[in-house]
Parts: sequence; structure tokens; C-alpha cells
Amino acid sequence: MSRFLFPRWSNLLLPTIILAAATIPVYAIFFVAYGFSPKTLEVGYQPDQPVPYSHALHAGELGIDCRYCHTSVEKAAAASVPATQTCMNCHTQIRPESPKLAKIKESYATGLPVEWSRVHKLPDFAYFDHSAHVNRGVGCVSCHGRIDKMEVVYQKSPLSMGWCLECHRNPEPNLRPTSQITNLAWDPAVELSKQEREALKTKFSIHPSQDCSTCHR
Amino acid sequence: MHESRTGCDNGSNEAGTNFVQAEYWRSADDLEKTPAFRELMAREFGPNAQELAAGDDRRNFIKLMGAGLAMAGLAACRRWPDTKIVPFAQGQAGRTTGVPVDYATCVEIAGIAWPVIAKSYDGRPIKLDGNPSLPFAAGSNAVIQSRVLELYDPDRSRELTKNGKPSTWTEFSGWCGDLAKQYKSNAGVGLAVLVDDSMSPTLDDMKTRFLATYPKARWVSWNAMNMDAAVAASNAAFGGSFIAMPMLDAAKVVLVLDADLFGCPATGVANSRAWAKGRRIEETDPSKQSVSRMYVAEPSVTVTGMSADQRLALRRSDIAALAAHVAKELGISAGDALASKAGELASNEVVKHLVADLKAAGRSALVVAGPMQDPATIALAAAINDKLGSVGTTVSYVPGPAVGGGAQLKQLADTLASGGVETLVMLGGNPAYDAPADIDFAAKLTKAKQVVHLSFYANETSKSSACMWHVPAAHSLESWSDGRAIDGSIVVQQPLILPMIDKEQGGRNALELLALLTGDDQTSSLEIVRRAHMKVSGLSGAAFEAWWRQNLDRGFVEGTAAKSAPAPAVNSGGVSGLCSTAAATVDTAMEVAFLFDSKVADGRFANLGWLQELPDPATKLTWDNALLMAPATARKLGIATGDVIKVTSGSATIEAAAWLLPGHAENCASIALGYGRGEVAGRVAAGAGFNAYPLRSTSAMGMVKATAAKTGANYAFAHTQDHGAADALIADVPTTGINDRLPTLVREASLAHYKEHPDFARHVSHVAHKLSLWEESNLDGARYRWAMTIDLSTCTGCSACVVACQAENNVPIVGKAMVARGREMHWIRIDRYFRKGTVDAPESFAVQPVTCMQCENAPCEQVCPVAATVHDEQGVNVMIYNRCIGTRYCSNNCPYKVRRFNFFDYQRRDPSREEGVLKVQPDYYKSMAEDHYPITDKPEGWSRMQFNPEVTVRSRGVMEKCSFCMQRIQAAKIRAKNAWAKAGGVEGGKGEWTIEDGAVVTACQQACPTQAIVFGDLNNPKSRVAQLVKSKLSYDLLEELNTKPRVKYLARVNNPAIESASASGGHGAHGDGKHEANHEGTTGAHS
Repeated sequence: MSRFLFPRWSNLLLPTIILAAATIPVYAIFFVAYGFSPKTLEVGYQPDQPVPYSHALHAGELGIDCRYCHTSVEKAAAASVPATQTCMNCHTQIRPESPKLAKIKESYATGLPVEWSRVHKLPDFAYFDHSAHVNRGVGCVSCHGRIDKMEVVYQKSPLSMGWCLECHRNPEPNLRPTSQITNLAWDPAVELSKQEREALKTKFSIHPSQDCSTCHR
Repeated sequence: MHESRTGCDNGSNEAGTNFVQAEYWRSADDLEKTPAFRELMAREFGPNAQELAAGDDRRNFIKLMGAGLAMAGLAACRRWPDTKIVPFAQGQAGRTTGVPVDYATCVEIAGIAWPVIAKSYDGRPIKLDGNPSLPFAAGSNAVIQSRVLELYDPDRSRELTKNGKPSTWTEFSGWCGDLAKQYKSNAGVGLAVLVDDSMSPTLDDMKTRFLATYPKARWVSWNAMNMDAAVAASNAAFGGSFIAMPMLDAAKVVLVLDADLFGCPATGVANSRAWAKGRRIEETDPSKQSVSRMYVAEPSVTVTGMSADQRLALRRSDIAALAAHVAKELGISAGDALASKAGELASNEVVKHLVADLKAAGRSALVVAGPMQDPATIALAAAINDKLGSVGTTVSYVPGPAVGGGAQLKQLADTLASGGVETLVMLGGNPAYDAPADIDFAAKLTKAKQVVHLSFYANETSKSSACMWHVPAAHSLESWSDGRAIDGSIVVQQPLILPMIDKEQGGRNALELLALLTGDDQTSSLEIVRRAHMKVSGLSGAAFEAWWRQNLDRGFVEGTAAKSAPAPAVNSGGVSGLCSTAAATVDTAMEVAFLFDSKVADGRFANLGWLQELPDPATKLTWDNALLMAPATARKLGIATGDVIKVTSGSATIEAAAWLLPGHAENCASIALGYGRGEVAGRVAAGAGFNAYPLRSTSAMGMVKATAAKTGANYAFAHTQDHGAADALIADVPTTGINDRLPTLVREASLAHYKEHPDFARHVSHVAHKLSLWEESNLDGARYRWAMTIDLSTCTGCSACVVACQAENNVPIVGKAMVARGREMHWIRIDRYFRKGTVDAPESFAVQPVTCMQCENAPCEQVCPVAATVHDEQGVNVMIYNRCIGTRYCSNNCPYKVRRFNFFDYQRRDPSREEGVLKVQPDYYKSMAEDHYPITDKPEGWSRMQFNPEVTVRSRGVMEKCSFCMQRIQAAKIRAKNAWAKAGGVEGGKGEWTIEDGAVVTACQQACPTQAIVFGDLNNPKSRVAQLVKSKLSYDLLEELNTKPRVKYLARVNNPAIESASASGGHGAHGDGKHEANHEGTTGAHS
């Protein structure tokens, strides 16, 4: 008579199944929570740019103010990427023959734009306004990090809604006097006392809204 | 779709006998409370809105779902697609990326230039609004708003053709040079120019130059919306050509004889604005406690008629007799021959009141006759105004054209027929389509050897086999020109963008073409306009530059408004001559009157989707015109709504579907011109409506005697008159009881009643208690409390706000089939009600714009499972698209039915009139990437250039609704805060930052020609809106639901001559009004 008997190894089957049933959902949850998070997908994004422009050199070593190029940051929602002409203000004099400038010179000669790769991108349904922040004491470094140390710009912050709200719920740590807005090395935590930061909050009447309509419309 | 039964059956009222007749009704179905209507009222959208398109089975649905899921899966695993930032190569002075710039310019409609402020966003014009520097021009209408869409129309002509084959501008200009040489040698014999009507001083200058170069050439001006009858009347009455300009703000009593003063796309804004000045009651100002009175006699129903205090539905041919009767009563004998035909009008109560009112008002009275009337009526109106002494106070005269356009065109056609025109150059216009049928212009065109047609669209005339050259024209936002506004001021038209089409393919305007034809040394439109303006101003050099810059900045040339001509003396012989002629033709035969509606005008705006989808203010029809007739007339002829009717007049016939319109004059029909253009007009206009031009002739520009017969065919209309029926009346409430006490949606009273009970609006209803099921939102301490008031006294229902909102907020058009299913997306709907009376004779009309009420106690918010619609601190009920999962619970729970659902990706889809999911599938599922950048490469992507970048473009599956123009609120706040922070914030010495009243203007408010919409902050007690909300006239819609709306209505105060039994408001809603209602309910349904 041939009765079917489970082989001995099958004794392991049940604990394996139980183990898998217990761990796979946990793994899936963690996979989705971390793997799909902007912290994983967005932070560190560093696309190649058409021109090997170095912020570390211009903003860091040479100390050019951010607003020399990003002219509309105090006036408009977009900080704006400068026109080719802005580069050529200096580079007609400085290293005009550098091969790294080939594309810039070509654009300047032809009038056709340089197509830069966008690093910081918000979804189309989120409306961020640079001017509303930089005029009232939120500096460049709070979101963009130490651009002055970046050879090629990468995304430092997740730019997720949760991340925005962290500051909207507790803005004090990110406030600084408007004179230090573009000073990336200046750290309010070191330079200002708690009272001074609270005074800034009063001065600019900072009551960040957490309403949906603040950014979505 | 839901077929409207419009009361042509006389049978038993299958549903209604147990119901109180509502005082206000939307349609015959509503009046009778048919089961179909009751079902609609209980629903969120139309009956088919939630079904898949017809013919789609379950299998298809599953296939599509499968595809959708697979794509969603792929899309989830990557970062945003890589995008580029493309800055300028050269910096642009004065331009900041993302900051819109306003330019003053103008758009021309039927020869009248409308001064506008065009908003340019990063170089793209995205919105047009009236230029408030000219007080009459601060509003706009649907047509003005839509002209920006026209710029981006993918169907606009993009190819220069010679005999139908592609050619180039170089070749064309070479040909023109040869032509100029040829005609210079014979002084222009055989050369003719046909222009579209315009009052442009520069065009005038070019005309002078053209005729100086070619003294024997012809210059003809034609427009289907012409003033021919007025010119004929004026020539008879004054012995010269004068056009009457009404001054409605100064008039106490107005008699409108068949003139659509408020609906006319060219003049309606100025007229309604002036009228509204005399209609606004200011509670606190003792000098503003009275309103004017307007009598309107008209065949069809127009926005003017709906706003009238006393309206007479009369056939177009009977209105002359009314005018003659009134003239006779006022002691003018010139019209006696005609007055004898007045018949029972002579004993009409309304007419008696009218005569008495005109006599009493004297100089403050005004009689206006419409351009489609018989010249006799217009001449009589002039005689009456003269007799009353109102010339100078309520009406002024400006010089008009010497010869009417119809006569000019007929002459040209005759010359063509005799071979007298060798070369015809048409600058704009579409005479092959809109010329009077007796001229048969299309056939005459073939007699010319060479025909040139400059046109924005390759239309019927361009496609005619006789047309040798078709040159695509530049849009008015693409070229320099000028024009004259309605007050005669010169307005400059400056371009905001280079022509969207290749320069080798045309993209020039009439001025440039004329320069080419005359061999002018100036070839650019800018230089041509500047040259003409140097002549106008008499300036040159730096003085001219300064003057020119100032005009560009302001948009108009100061001090150029027309001086009114001295009041001409009325020649009663001429008037009586016209009257005798008119008297001879009075009969009782069936007639068809022609209308120009407020959407497509003479047909030139037919391809603009915003206009096609806009419900007609009176009929609520979309995407079509119709043969309009009174239910009683239809009953006599055995016609029901949707029946295709063959209309025969002499040898001309047209076919058109009938629409039964309560309030229409009996024994006649009317039809809007400009529809039925077919494929040639473009993909939007294709198949829209019926062409009535074949009936129109030079001798009958206004109406024809015709017979109507059913063909047996049937036509499906898409209308919105029952959509959004949100009446408090719940269909199954019995005769007496709760619905007697329920407040009405529209609240109105006569002036007399208002004076007795200024607070009548508050007493219409008695809401026993206001309780909330939920904890109410606590908005105490909010920085801002945004609110809006809508004044029903001055709202005419013109629908400018609907299109302005559409332009501002990226609201899509959905197509005819979708409208029929109740899927239209307009954030504002204008409810049009008939008041009391019967389906044959409603007593009056009421209109009410309904948008999101921004309830403080919003029912939609309680049912959203994902909190995608919530309140913000300012009290605005915000809709967050990115959070919405499309359950539609919110719209199901919205008592006002103002939420709109994106059943499809309408913005990515061709507004096709076809049905069926599979037909539209390629559009839905193609990758965004391929047409993402640059969008201008494909004309189909052009219309996206109109999008307002400040507003999210919604995708399929999300709910949307009015946001109180949140983008404008935010922009104003950021502007104010930045300026304040730059001045030092709190330390700047001015305290907290504030927004001034009037800094936030919503799109609808900005467009409203009558300033009926006011928006602002309730926390600022000095704001206009805060004061209006406090007014005794203000009330909430459906206040018994305790939703606490932030949109308040100001009850309508009208001024009828004859008090209607219950026009004395709903004050007696639980007294006399109840008996009245019952009485109406039993007898009114079928008289």
C-alpha cells in the first residue's frame, strides 16, 4: 500500500510559510514607505548639465551673490535661471577662450537658449513662491543646502509636502535677517539667540499657513 | 439625452395636479413637474452623466481598465520626467519670468473696437478684459473674452494658397507688385476692395491713399451686422446719416423696440453698464432710492427682454405699428397710416402705461429701435425722441455711413456681374457665406478674373473656386492697427506676440496688404499706424513719440471721443413716407425674424469652443442655434422641440430644428444667424446649428414672411436649462405644507413694494431653526473672510462671467454630447427662470448666476473620505485636486449642484462631437511626453498656450469647482506682504500688513459689465462687500439648510408698470401668496 507521506523536509515548510507571511508584508511596507519616499527618490538627484558650470567656484570661491544671476528671486515666484547674456557679462573678459564655455558662446552668438536640466521640480499642482520666502527671512540655504560647495548642483531636500510643512509648523529655526538671506555659510542656530529668532518672527509677522489653498489652487 | 417636452400637448398633467405651481420655473417640464424633470432634480448630474458612453460594453471597460492599471504601474517607478529650463539668450528688459504683464490694446467686433487690457504671461497673451481707463469699457462679454482663444485656434488658416495650391508670401507680394504697376497705368479701372466694417482711422488713411493711387477703383465696406435700416431711416427722417447713441444711465423710462441692447457683442457691455447705473439701489444714499423703468417689445427672448420691467412679445413686423401708435398718442401724426394697424395693441394695458410714462418722463424718456427693425420704426423712434425733447439728454447722434453696407455690396455684385470688376481684393469678411441671398455673391465672385482674400480662417469665401489668392491674416493680438471705441475714442491695437504662423505664409493684416497694393513706402503695420497717428495728432519728432507712448500705455487717445452731432431736425414727410410703405406690408402671415446672438455674432466666432458651449442666455442651448417659436405657435403647427422644420420663403428654403421658447411672440419664429457653417468653419463649428442666411435678402434684412412645415426628422439638442435644478421644492412634498414656507431661490419685488418693505428679502422665508448635524467650522479670528455678493437687480444673465471664469481657471469645453449628459464644466452657471404665467405667456423672467457658495458649513466637506475639500482659515471652501480620488460624494451632497467632475481628460482631448470611448481613446492614452515640449510645434497644442499657469490643469477623475479665484487672492497677499516686508515689516512703522479693498478682483467680477458681482473681505467693515452683505436686500440661497454661504444675493428690485398679483415679493408667502400659488397651480398649467 502506498500511502502518501509528507517527506521529512516538509516539516520546514510550515515555519517558512509563517515566516514569509509575517515578513513579506513588513518588507513591502518598508519598501514602499522608504523606497517610494521623496527622501529616497528625490534627494541627491544630480543631472548632468550641458555646461560644466560650477556653483562651488562662482558662488563659493568667488563669492558672487546668488541674486546676481537669480535676479527675480525677490520679485517673483520663480528665482529664474539667468540669460546667456549674464554669463557673458564677465566671460567676454575672463577666460573667453575656455572650451568649457563653448555652448555659452554659441548661444550668445546664435540667440538660441542653453537648455539646462531642471534639478528642483515641484509638481504642477503645487505653487511655491520664492519672493514670499526670501523677503521674510527664509534663506536660500534652508532648502537648497550649501550650493556654494556643489561642483554640480544636486537636490538637497526632499521637497515633499511633509518636508514643507515641517517648517510651516515651526519656522523659527529657519529665520534669519534679510541681510543674510543669500549667505549660505551663515547659520542662524549659531549666530542668533532664541529671542532674536523670535523677534524676527514678530518683525515679519510669520504665521505660516498650513491651509491647502496656500500652495494648491 | 433628456428630450424636453415643451408643452405642446394639451393633455392631462400627469404629474403636476397635486403640486403647487412653482412661482419660478426653468422649463415647461419644470412647470408641469414631469417625471423626467423630477428625476433630474433629485440627481447630482444629468441622467446619463455617470454611464459610460453609449455602445461601450463591459468588455471594453475591462480592457481599458487593464491598460490604465498597467500604465499606472510603470509610471510609479521613476522620478518626474527630466525637464529643461530654457532661459533667454539675451536678457529682456522689464520682464520678470512668471510675472504677468498687462498691455492696453483692442479687439474689433462688427466695426467697433473694444479697448482691452491683455494679460501676457511670459510672452503669451492669456486673458483679455475691458480697459477700465475708459469707464464704459471696464467690463467685457463672452466674445471679448474668447478672442484670446481665437489667437490659438489650431484651425486658423496657416497656409497661403494660390488657386488652392500652396504658395508663399514672396510669390504673392511679387504678384501684388505687378498688379500695382498694371493698375497705376489705368487709374484703377476694374479694381475693387471689399473691407470688413471698421472705424479705424488708419484704415481710413489707407483708404484715402488707395483712392488717391487708384481714383477709379471701388471701395466697398460690408458686414452682416450692419446699420442699413438705421441709415435708411435716418436719410428719410433727417435727410442725412445719423446713428442714435442711447444714454441709458440718464433715462428714467426706456422703450426698447426690438433692440438687443445688452446682448449685442459689439455694444452690449457699454449699454448694460449704463443701464445698471440707473438700477442700483443704495440703501444708505437717499438719492438712490429709485430705479428706471424699461419697456421692451421683442419677438424672441433676449437678455434685454429678460431684464425688462415690462415686456411685450410682439412679432417683428408688429413693432412698427406699436411705435406708430405710441407716436400718435404723443401727438406725432407722421405714423398715422401705420398706427391704424396697431389693432388690439391700442387697448393693451401695458401700452397705455407706456404712453403715460413716456409723457410723464419727457426729456428723461428714451426710445431705442433695433437695427433689424423696419426703417419706419427707427424713424418713428427718432421722431418720438425729438418730440419728448430727449435728444441731448438720453440720446445723441453721431454721423453714420452715407450708404448702407447692403446697398454697397449689391452695387459691387452688380458691377461684378457686368464684368466691371477684374480684380477684387477682400480684406477679411466672409461674403460668400453671409451676403444677402438675393445677391448670390458666391456666383458673382466667379465673374472677377482675380480674387484675393485675406482672412483669419480659410472660410467659405477663401474656399470658393473663384478665389485666386488666400492669404492667412494676422490676429489682432499679432499686429498693429487701431480703431474707434463705441464713444468714438481712438484706441490703439498693439501686438503682444509675433504671428503664430510662418511669415512666408502670410500673418499680415489689412493695412499691410493695402500698403502692398498701393506700392506704399511703409510696409510694416507699426509704421503705417504711426504715420496715420502723426496725421491725426499733427505732431512729429519727440512730441509725437511722447504722445504715442502715452497712448500705448493708456490704450486710447484722450480727447478723441466723438462729438455728438447737432440734433437734426425731423422731417415728418420722410417719416410718414416710410410709415406708409411699412403699413402696406402689415399682415398676419407667419414670419421668421433673424437674430444675431451674443455668441458667434455673424458667424465669425463659430469655431470658438468657449462660445459654442456657452448656454445661450435665453434658451440655454449649447452648440446649436434653433428655430425658436412660441409653444402656442408650435401647437398650432403640430411642432415639438427637436422637430426639423422646413422653412420656405419664396424660392429660398432652409431646414432647422425647432425649439419651443416660452415668452416668444406668437405666429412667428426666429433664428440666430451665423450657424450651420459645416466643415469649412473648423472642427468646433462643424455641425453646429443651422444656416439661416439663405432666407435673408437685401430687401428683408430683418425678417421674411415664410411658411414652416415638419420634415419628419428629429434633431437632438444639448441644453442646460434643467441642469442644476436645485429648487428647495422636493418633488414629493404635497400641495400644502413645508414647501409653502420654503424660501424661494430668486427673491424680487417691485420698487413700490420695496419702499414699503425694504427688508422683504429677509421675510420671504421663515426658517424655524438652524441646526447642524456636525460641529460647525470655527472661523473666529481669521485674518480674512472672503465673501461675494451678486446683485440680482443688475444681473442681466449675459454670461460674460461664465466665459471669463473659463479663461481664468482653465475650465475645459467638453463637447455637445457631454453637455447633453450633464457633464459641462462651467464653474458658474446662470439659472434662467420663467416667472409665473403659463408656458405660453410667462409673466417675466429672472436670472441668477450660481457658483460655489463657499458655505461655512459646507455639506461637501462632511462626506469627503479623503479630506480633499476642506476649509481654509479665510473661510474659503478649497478643493485639492491632488488629493481627490473621485468618489463624487461631495457633489452628491452639494445642495447647489455647483461641483463639476472631470469624467474625462477634457483638456487633452479634441472637443469632438462624436460619442464613444473608443473614438477618443488615442487622445486619452497617448504619452504626454511626445507633445510636452515644445508645445507650439503642433497647432493642436496651441490652445494650451492660453492656459493660466497660476491654476492647476485638472485631469480625469477629479472634482472641481469655483475657488474664489484663489490664485488672485494669493497673488494679492504675496504682493502686499513683500512690499510690507521690504519696508521693514512691523518695524517699518505701518503696523501689520493689509490688503486694500479692491486689491483682489475675481475674474467674474472683473468681466461683469454691470458690476453686479462684488468681492472682498468681510473683516474690513469699510469694504464694499461688507456693506452689501449688511444690506436688507441680501439673502442666502437655501438658507434653511444652514450652510452659511459666503456668496450672498441681493434681491432684485424691479419696476413694473403693472403690479403683478404676487410680484409684491414673497412677503405673503404664507398669506395671500399661498392662495395665489394654488390658483395658478390649477388654472395656470393649461390655459
